[in-house]
Parts: sequence; structure tokens; C-alpha cells
Amino acid sequence: MSNKVAIIAANGGLFDAYKVFNIATAAAASEKEVQIFFTFEGLNFIHKQAMHALEMPAGKEHFAEGFKKANVPSIPELVEMAIELGVTFIACQMTMDVMGLTKEDFVDGIEVGGAVTFLEYAKDAAPTLTF
Amino acid sequence: MIQANEQLDAKGLSCPMPIVKTKKAIMGLDQGQVLEIQATDKGSTADLAAWASSVGHQYIGTVEENNVLYHYIRKGSNEPEVEKAFEHTVALEELETCKGLILDVREAAEYAFGHIDGAKSIPLGELESRLAEVDKNEEIYVICRTGKRSDLAAQLLVKNGYPKVYNVLPGMNEWNGNITKEI
Repeated sequence: MSNKVAIIAANGGLFDAYKVFNIATAAAASEKEVQIFFTFEGLNFIHKQAMHALEMPAGKEHFAEGFKKANVPSIPELVEMAIELGVTFIACQMTMDVMGLTKEDFVDGIEVGGAVTFLEYAKDAAPTLTF
Repeated sequence: MIQANEQLDAKGLSCPMPIVKTKKAIMGLDQGQVLEIQATDKGSTADLAAWASSVGHQYIGTVEENNVLYHYIRKGSNEPEVEKAFEHTVALEELETCKGLILDVREAAEYAFGHIDGAKSIPLGELESRLAEVDKNEEIYVICRTGKRSDLAAQLLVKNGYPKVYNVLPGMNEWNGNITKEI
């Protein structure tokens, strides 16, 4: 049985962020090795400013109340927790170049890599998830 | 009230926080100790049971009281299996025809979630200080979950002069007879 979980975060909305970080922190708490590859809009989740202003899908804004009521942790809190649990963050170099971003625009402790970096990790991971 | 070594308050927290908090809390416990997790997240029952089995802890059970879920998990061990040393054993199937005292040496929380009717509860860690509660003249059938703790308890009883002691194998995890609950 593989002890590795590989996640691709490719979308940048608030709902997408919860899917990524809930699975990632739950897996890390279950003593799995977890790596998340952030690409395109997924980079929002670890961007120092953007992570605080993630948007809900159009027309779903009314869920804000539900998030508050359910006492769901904020995305910056989940990011911090994931780091604390040892989850590895890989930011996609190509997307960073396209968007004109540098490592300093992101939370501390991330790694920067390309598609091969992720593929190498994911080759024996189960499951590999894309959000 | 079910006895536990530590309590964790995860009330009001949603998934995955009860699991994340439990992982942190259980690191502070010794192997074999019991953690009580108080949660209001309805998904936490299934999550904690799956989590415990995945990382090698024992999920004992859950009770609900005033909309709060009380989960009980016993910390598992990463130590290798020790060879059982106590020679006098009886098989679980023979227990129904045995006369004497069934001594259940699992933790109080495990006992509360299901034990053989009439069994007496003294957790292994308390046995030495509670020997006065066990009659020397009786035949004593010591049981735990898998036979490991009862093996140690049986040795302890013999060392303290108990002449008729048997370790019941394998243990409650294979027991299919009636059980009594105290929850």
C-alpha cells in the first residue's frame, strides 16, 4: 500500500481550496506523505495576498453564512496547519513565469518545480487527486 | 462517565479539525492509554474509526450525550509482538463452561463498551494495587482484547500467590457471545 498522496491544485476558487486542504490535512494527520502541486489558478491558495481573498463560485455567495456557522477554518489557517503537518508545497515554475510571480510572493517554505518534479513524486502515490 | 486518560475538546470544529487535533493529542499519551475526543462534527465518528484503523490505534467506541459525541481511542503500539509466556491457557470457547471469576484487564473504557456478563474489570495497570479485590481461592480466567495484557496479568497474579490462574485466548476481539454494555 502506498503511503503517498499526490494532489494537483489547478483551480483557484474558495471551494477548490477547501477540497485541496481538507484532503491534504486529513491525509497528513493519517501519517501519509503528502505533496501538493499548485499550478495556474491553484497558485492563489499559497499566494500571500490572494489566499485571503479567494472567491466563491458566482451565485454561490450565500454559502458564506454556512461556512461561518459550521466553524470551518479559514484557508490561511488550513495552509498553516498543512505546513505544520509536514505537507510539501510545490509551486509550478512555468505558471509563475507566465504570471510574473517569484518565490517571495508565496508563503514561506514552498518549493518550486516543474511538471517532472511532481510526476516523479506521483509515480508511486495512491491516490493522486486533481482539484 | 467513561474513564479516559486524557480529554480532547474538539466541539464546534468541523472536518478535518477533529482528526488533526486527535493526531496531535494522542502523541502525548503512552501506549495503551485512552483518549476521549469530544466532538460535535457528525462525520467524526466514521472519520475517527477509519483514522484509528489506518494509523494503528484502537477505536473503542462512541457515545452521544446532549448532542456531543464522545469518542474513545486507545493508543496503539509500534512495538513488535511479544511472545506470550504464561503456560496455563484456556480457549475462548471453553469459557462458557468454566466456573470461577472472569477478570477483564482491559482499560475501563473498553470494558464499558462491551464485556462478558459477570466479568470483573481491573485494568492491567491497576491490578497490582487492587489485588485485594480478587479472591485467591477462586479459579481466575484473565481476559483482554487479544491475550497480550491478560498474559502479563496472569503472570502477575501467580507471582502474588494465586494458584488457579488461566489466560483466556485469544480474547474479546474474537468473542461472539453475549456482551453487556455500561454506556
